[in-house]
Amino acid sequence: MLSIKDAGLRYGSKVAFSNFSLEVEEGGMVSIIGTSGSGKTSLLYAIASLLPLSEGSISAPEQCSIMFQQDRLLPWMRVIDNVILGLPKQMRKEGEQLLSLMGLLERRESYPKQLSGGERQRIALARSLIRNPRLLLLDEPFASLDEQTRERLQDEVKTYVRERGITLLMVTHSIKEAVFMGERIVVMTPGGISHETANPYHGVGDLRSSIEAFALERELRSHLGGKA
Amino acid sequence: MKYLRGSLVVLVAWYLLALAVHSPIIPYPHAVFVFLLRSMQKSKTYLHLAFSLYRILMGMALALLFAIPTGMVAGRTKRLDQIISPVLYLLYPLPKIAFLPVFMVLFGIGELSKIILIAVIIFFPAAVTIRDGVKEIPPDYLQLAQAYHLSPKQVTRALIWPAILPRIFSSLRITLGISLSVLFISENYASTFGLGYYIMNNWIMAQYVGMYAGIVLLSLLGLALYVALDGLERLVIPPQTR
Repeated sequence: MLSIKDAGLRYGSKVAFSNFSLEVEEGGMVSIIGTSGSGKTSLLYAIASLLPLSEGSISAPEQCSIMFQQDRLLPWMRVIDNVILGLPKQMRKEGEQLLSLMGLLERRESYPKQLSGGERQRIALARSLIRNPRLLLLDEPFASLDEQTRERLQDEVKTYVRERGITLLMVTHSIKEAVFMGERIVVMTPGGISHETANPYHGVGDLRSSIEAFALERELRSHLGGKA
Repeated sequence: MKYLRGSLVVLVAWYLLALAVHSPIIPYPHAVFVFLLRSMQKSKTYLHLAFSLYRILMGMALALLFAIPTGMVAGRTKRLDQIISPVLYLLYPLPKIAFLPVFMVLFGIGELSKIILIAVIIFFPAAVTIRDGVKEIPPDYLQLAQAYHLSPKQVTRALIWPAILPRIFSSLRITLGISLSVLFISENYASTFGLGYYIMNNWIMAQYVGMYAGIVLLSLLGLALYVALDGLERLVIPPQTR
């Protein structure tokens, strides 16, 4: 599905990341966690062909959608037109279906500035999902939201992606988020992967308050250089 | 309401000036308005207004016809901008009015030379502001367009056009005053209609009250155009999107 081999990216003499290899199977859900400057966003952009690799190779499916950290909704377009950005007008129906799935159907004629941060990220999510991606790339899109909204959106994305067998690759600096979203968690540094672990509790109902998840979080925290 | 207050300020200043100078060269406002009201009953006055309005609107349209593509290309393509911007900067400061005789020889002494003169004046600031509007599109949006595989045509419609639309309005607003002043000069030759002609004609005949009536009409035309521009802008750029 997604195959990254010895990939590296440099801006001039500055290394964004290097020596990165990862295989993700169809329907897999992988969290990449790293501190600021670990090159995780650059990696995601390289997978989405927004940045050229300096070395190595990436093979990703054509049907790939990226969701950015900021919603990047176009302020001069109505919500529904933002959702179907770049698609033919006939996609309006599908756009409305997605909006109603997210409980935002009545907002379809509003403008982004009239919405809350959580609503805006939901619209951005709809915009990336309407393209029917086989691979969904998330660049910590929930980082700026309040905790309740963030958790609700995490739940929604997780359910949506699992139900449809979409492959998910998410980068985040939040250990909690990485554990909740990923069945595999990769710790990234500019020099490559420093640690990788499976998350056997990924499918557990109330993952957020389970003891096992806490243990996993502690393990990851120690690998990120924090106190275990 | 705010226009009423503004008019009042101008009127008071005018009265004070007329009192101080105390000469027929600055008549009292009420004399001018009486004259104006009387001339508004003549259809010829409307013809003067209509001709001036027509020349201004055509000048704006012609200027935008060239300024929009020029600004878009300069804002989008770095290599072309390295040619376009220096050319704009070189020609922008030229006193366009000095080329009036040239325009008259090239485009005749009729409507076209007048319209082209106004268009040339509006063109430069419009092209420069439109170029800047395109340049200032957030890179995030361009990256979004790339990530979602928008075609160049879709990029123009979804990103570039909305970015330059407010620039078009501000460039028209900025140039409106100077276009009207230049219109006055261009209507001084080979014209029998237009507010410029109306003003000059009254001047030559030492009909100062009539001259001022023409000046008031020109200023009211300017005000009407400003109000219309603001209204049109609110219509095409909803306030919720700003």
